[in-house]
Parts: sequence; structure tokens; C-alpha cells
Amino acid sequence: MPFDVDPQLLGREFDRTEYGPVTADELIAYARAVGATHPCYLEPGPDLVAHPTFCVRYKSRKFYPDDLPTQIDFRRGFDAGKDIELGVPVRPGDTIHVSSAVHELYEKTGRSGAMAFIVIRFTMTNQRGETVALIDNRFLHKLGGGS
Amino acid sequence: MILDLHLHSELSDDSRAPVEAYLKLLQRKRAERPLDGIVLTEHRQFDPARDYRALEDRYGFRILTAAEVETDYGHVLVYGVNADIFARFDFSNVRLPAQELITEVARLGGIALPCHPGRPTVGLSAHYATKPPLEGVVAVEALNGGSRRGEDDRVQELIRRHGYHAFGGSDSHLVSFVGVCATEFDAEIRSTDDLVRELKGGRYRPVDFRARRVA
Amino acid sequence: MTRFDDVFEGDELPGREFLLEKDQVRDYARAAHQWAPRFTDDEGARREGLPGMITPGNMSMGLLATMLEAWAGPGSLRRLGTTFRGLLLPGRTIRLCGAVTQRHDETRSVEVDVWIENDEGERVVAGTATLRLR
Repeated sequence: MPFDVDPQLLGREFDRTEYGPVTADELIAYARAVGATHPCYLEPGPDLVAHPTFCVRYKSRKFYPDDLPTQIDFRRGFDAGKDIELGVPVRPGDTIHVSSAVHELYEKTGRSGAMAFIVIRFTMTNQRGETVALIDNRFLHKLGGGS
Repeated sequence: MILDLHLHSELSDDSRAPVEAYLKLLQRKRAERPLDGIVLTEHRQFDPARDYRALEDRYGFRILTAAEVETDYGHVLVYGVNADIFARFDFSNVRLPAQELITEVARLGGIALPCHPGRPTVGLSAHYATKPPLEGVVAVEALNGGSRRGEDDRVQELIRRHGYHAFGGSDSHLVSFVGVCATEFDAEIRSTDDLVRELKGGRYRPVDFRARRVA
Repeated sequence: MTRFDDVFEGDELPGREFLLEKDQVRDYARAAHQWAPRFTDDEGARREGLPGMITPGNMSMGLLATMLEAWAGPGSLRRLGTTFRGLLLPGRTIRLCGAVTQRHDETRSVEVDVWIENDEGERVVAGTATLRLR
């Protein structure tokens, strides 16, 4: 059965989480793991900044709100992709705030059958209120099991 | 005349490809992918107000519009969408009844053709394993630019068994892959009506430009 | 470092082809707080119904971002969006590819198609990026 989406669900913050302070070691380890070679990602010092995809390691503590349609089986699903829009660079000592909201929710079919397509938007800001990243996380979950 | 019968622009939820960017690439890659036009098949939607005549004039390619919808037998491309077809079916419904779609679209002046039939779950082959074959299927997409290993091979058996005509499309969601698979028609196609007539007539074949690379 | 004036629609990026080592995937899983059997251990991944250890989708984005900035310069990447179309299995050769599709003169930025091919030539990750060039 197709599910109904409460319009009030969309765009409403359901989680706010804080991480940090970010350390130079964390930035360097991440950059090395993705093969970065530029000194600005690898060398400790005042010019060290995070690799552009570093922020994907942050997520909300609560991954979904409680009031998603019950037809969605959250135990069965997979990561369908991400869109990252970058703001100011992350630097050692930064605190990262993650605000989460459901951005999109609808039904589609694919190789795995009828699925619920959910986009969770993370708005990430630093301690100065500057946006460091907007990340749209796209997930596909099977329908029918309920949570 | 060679047309890519299956591709998605930024209007589809999983594509960021502007139509103009598709045309520019086809201009640049004319030697490798000698296409005359494209048919935009957006996911689960159709906007009759879309007008690409200015782009057609600027770049010299035919641009037609259709839709890719989702049914109980997998995904289907609907060509010749008119007001009657659009009123008859909710394109956003992911459980459209395939038999009814194929029959009614034909009756109302269009043609509905299963796409990527070898793909798991959303392809016709998977459904024919457990359900009766659909009546009125004229052709299936034998070449799909997004297919994985083995998927297009399954289609050949389907075509042999049921006598379907075969066509091709890129299923491109990225600019770079427009026209990698397409359909070569014997006749010229100037309009959607021409396209529907020729698809029903069977005088076409899939063409594969994936391996070509001109120095 | 690539300059905007030297880039044209249709240009193919240098790309990268290399063996994606399992240890590199484990290093990523540790650095990205994604330490889970599916990303670190073949047997653990099989218990989850997977063919073996897989590469996190986030890591594929990281690898693509590195490739893009190797071409365009650090700080040039403004947006990266990818769809994870299939499993990327470590311990095999992968190809990172890209091609310029649009130029925007007013912002001196370009749109680039990016994708990762596995050792069978299948595109398992595909997407687009926006880069601001000098």
C-alpha cells in the first residue's frame, strides 16, 4: 500500500547534535584514507583544513524522526547516495553542529522492488554559526515491515 | 534516423543533466555517437507545457518528450503522451497496472514499451517468471546504457520467445552517457505522432555506441 | 592547478586507476567512524548477506573529491553529489573518471560528471560535481 506523508514532517528539525572539538589528527587521518596529497589536508599547522568530504563522518544521533509512515521497514534498506554542498572549511578546534530534517519522502521502484525514498538533510554549522556543509543523505528502504 | 529513446534530464529526481548540455555533448561527439535526436523520458511525470523548439533550432537535434512510469510488471516507457493518456493514468503511481496501461495507451493513440526488461525486479523478465505475459507488447528495450552484465542478455531470450521488436536507449542520468545506446529508424521522425507510428511498425533496431572511441 | 580559462566542455579529467586495498578501506572506516563488519571484514560482511567486505559509499565520494581537487586545486570543490548504484568491492582495481559538461563564466565554475568503474567496467558510483576554478 502506498504511504501518506504528513506535510508537517518535511523540513522540521527532529534532531540536533554537536561534535568536537575537531582535532588535527582526525583531519589528517581522514585525508590520508581518501588519498589526499595536498599539504593543506595533511600537515599540522595553521593552514590545516578538513578534506572536503570530512563532514560525512558526522550524523544525527537519532537517524529518523519517530513519526515516519509505519509501512517503511527501516531494518531493510541501503544508502542510495549523497549530495554535499560545501561551506567554509572545517579547522582544528571547530565544534560542528548538525541539525537534521526530513527533506523528501516518497515511493519509487528499483532493482530492489518498491521502496521508500527518504532524504535526510543535515545542516552543519560551526561554533561561529557559519555553514560548513549541507548534506542530503538519500536512503531506500523496503516497504511493508513497519518500524 | 537515430534517436536515444530513453534518457532523463534534471526534471527527473536522480538526474542533474540539463537538456542543453546533452545536446552540446552530442554535437561534440557526432563521430562516435551519430544521433539525430533524443526522447526525454522523465521519471513518473509528464509536463505537456515543456517546449524545446528553441533548443532544437539552435543545436539541430530533434527533441521529443515521453515518460518512464512504474507498473506491476516493471518500468515502462510511454510515448505519445496526450491529454487523454495523461488524464487516464496517474504517472506518479508506482503501481500502475501494466496490462491496462499498455492496452489503454495504445487505444488512446500512444504506445507503452517495457524498458530495461532484463533488470531485476523492475524488468519484464523477472515478472514473466511468475506472471502471465502481457498482451499487446510491441517492443522492448533490448539495449539499455545503464544495464549491468547479463541484463541485456536475458532480454534476447525474451525477444525470441515472444517475438518482440527491439529498441535501444541510454537511460542516461548524466550528460556524459547520452546516446551510448540508441535506436536506428528506417523512416524520418519529425514528431511524436511519427515516433508512435514507427514504434508500432517495427522498422527499427537498437544501436550500440558504447565501444566507439574516435581518435 | 587547472585554470578556468583552460577548461572546455567535453574535457576529460586525468582520472585515476588503482588497486583499492582492503587496508585503505579499513583506514577509512576507522577515520570516518564507520567501523562495522561490512566495511572491515570479509566474513563479517558475508554474515550480513554481502559477497564480502564492501567500500563505504562515503569513501567513494572521498576518493572522487580527491581526484577532482588534484585536477582543480584544493578548495575548488563546492558541491559533490553521487548515487551509489552498486557495491564497490575492495581488493580490486577501480577507475575514477570525470568529464567537464558545463562552464559558467559568471562564477568561473564548471560542472563535472564523475563516476567510478569497477574492474568489470560497470559504473558503480556516478554523480556530478561543481568546482570553482582560478
